[in-house]
Amino acid sequence: MTDSQSERTDFGYQKVDKSAKAGMVAQVFNSVAAKYDIMNDLMSLGIHRLWKRYTLDCSGVRPGMRVLDIAGGTGDLTEQFAKRVGAQGEVVLADINDAMLSVGREKLRNRGVVGNVSYVQADAEQLPFADDSFDVITIAFGLRNVTDKNRALRSMLRVLKPGGRLLVLEFSKPVQPLLNQVYDFYSFNLLPKMGQLVAGDADSYQYLAESIRMHPDQETLKGMMVDAGFDNVDYHNLTGGIVALHRGYKF
Amino acid sequence: MMLLPLLPLTLAEKLANQLLHADPASSARLQALRGKRLRLTLRELPQPLTLTVVDDGVVFAVHDDNDVDCHIQTALAVLPELRDSANITRLIKADALDIEGDPMLAQRFSALFRDLDIDWQATLASRIGELPAYWLIKRWRQSRRWLTRRMAEQRDWLRDTVVEEKQLLVSAVEFAVFSDDLQALRARLDRLQRRLDSLPAEG
Repeated sequence: MTDSQSERTDFGYQKVDKSAKAGMVAQVFNSVAAKYDIMNDLMSLGIHRLWKRYTLDCSGVRPGMRVLDIAGGTGDLTEQFAKRVGAQGEVVLADINDAMLSVGREKLRNRGVVGNVSYVQADAEQLPFADDSFDVITIAFGLRNVTDKNRALRSMLRVLKPGGRLLVLEFSKPVQPLLNQVYDFYSFNLLPKMGQLVAGDADSYQYLAESIRMHPDQETLKGMMVDAGFDNVDYHNLTGGIVALHRGYKF
Repeated sequence: MMLLPLLPLTLAEKLANQLLHADPASSARLQALRGKRLRLTLRELPQPLTLTVVDDGVVFAVHDDNDVDCHIQTALAVLPELRDSANITRLIKADALDIEGDPMLAQRFSALFRDLDIDWQATLASRIGELPAYWLIKRWRQSRRWLTRRMAEQRDWLRDTVVEEKQLLVSAVEFAVFSDDLQALRARLDRLQRRLDSLPAEG
């Protein structure tokens, strides 16, 4: 959430200058890039793979399509999209963070995913692509780190082809109060300790837990997508609302 | 709950693609079907299963509500009958099957797997080495021969016991004779019926 009067925004639970947030987020990801995949598996007990698989199922991607994977990080979704769009299609893996992009590029090349994937260091708020250029855009666990989310959503709408769709996979608000309590305990007590043990960085994982709490809940994000100009916006809660997949179309 | 079906689905997809990759001829068959999508709605499954052919394999999906080239709605038990296209009209009339889109597509999808010709020894050898693969295949063939022989013996024993010894069922020959007799009886009845019909009604 942005405090427009004072030009300040949230960085986890802290209020920081809007201009400073991108740099602070960059520090977090520079620190975790190398251990990003293993931490994802540990933190979510591997369930993040199922969340991403669900996103792929809902994407409707077919051979020959152009896909933009924003905040694609280490390339989990890009790899699967590349397989689905085939040689005649194209997947662009975009991430604002060069360290993450490098890890992703190296990982995908080692796995033989080449030919139909390109890598672009890009800011989601000002995507460096022509209007109407992608059939599908995904942003998985990236939107909450963006400083001006409304601007980013409008930028995504601009580069989406008419008939195309945006999929936003992001942490959200658990529906059950009991699950919420367990989840809070896990996020603020266990998660930073796991971060310290595995990645040697507790602060970044403290930020992760805080940024999740500050991220708009399901209905708010849906409203933001509608305001940005997306049509037929809907969302599905996954794992009790810990994560939600929002979907919107450009007609 | 939405995520649970994804686990078996991912495993099934992996297995299907490994089978396809084990046969070099699959590549041409996949190429001919590239981009085609088939949806299966089976009464036994809670969600429809969508299959998409991509460059080097097939992709399975359960949460896919996008357009497909062919949508088949039926029951699991009916699937084997679809191999023979002569059955399709009968099944549709019997409300056991509903097809939207290209009905031949389903057969081409099933041919992807039916026509697989896998050199198991070579496939295994590339994973576990020449010698273990040779030994494993040899043991597999031996056990299959043994199993076929044992099953034939069991079948013979069961037939002797049920038909000859306990006389619970009739033998195939007896059944054929009975069927012929029944056929003849039906013909005589038909003839009798026709004669009755031709008699003038009594006033």
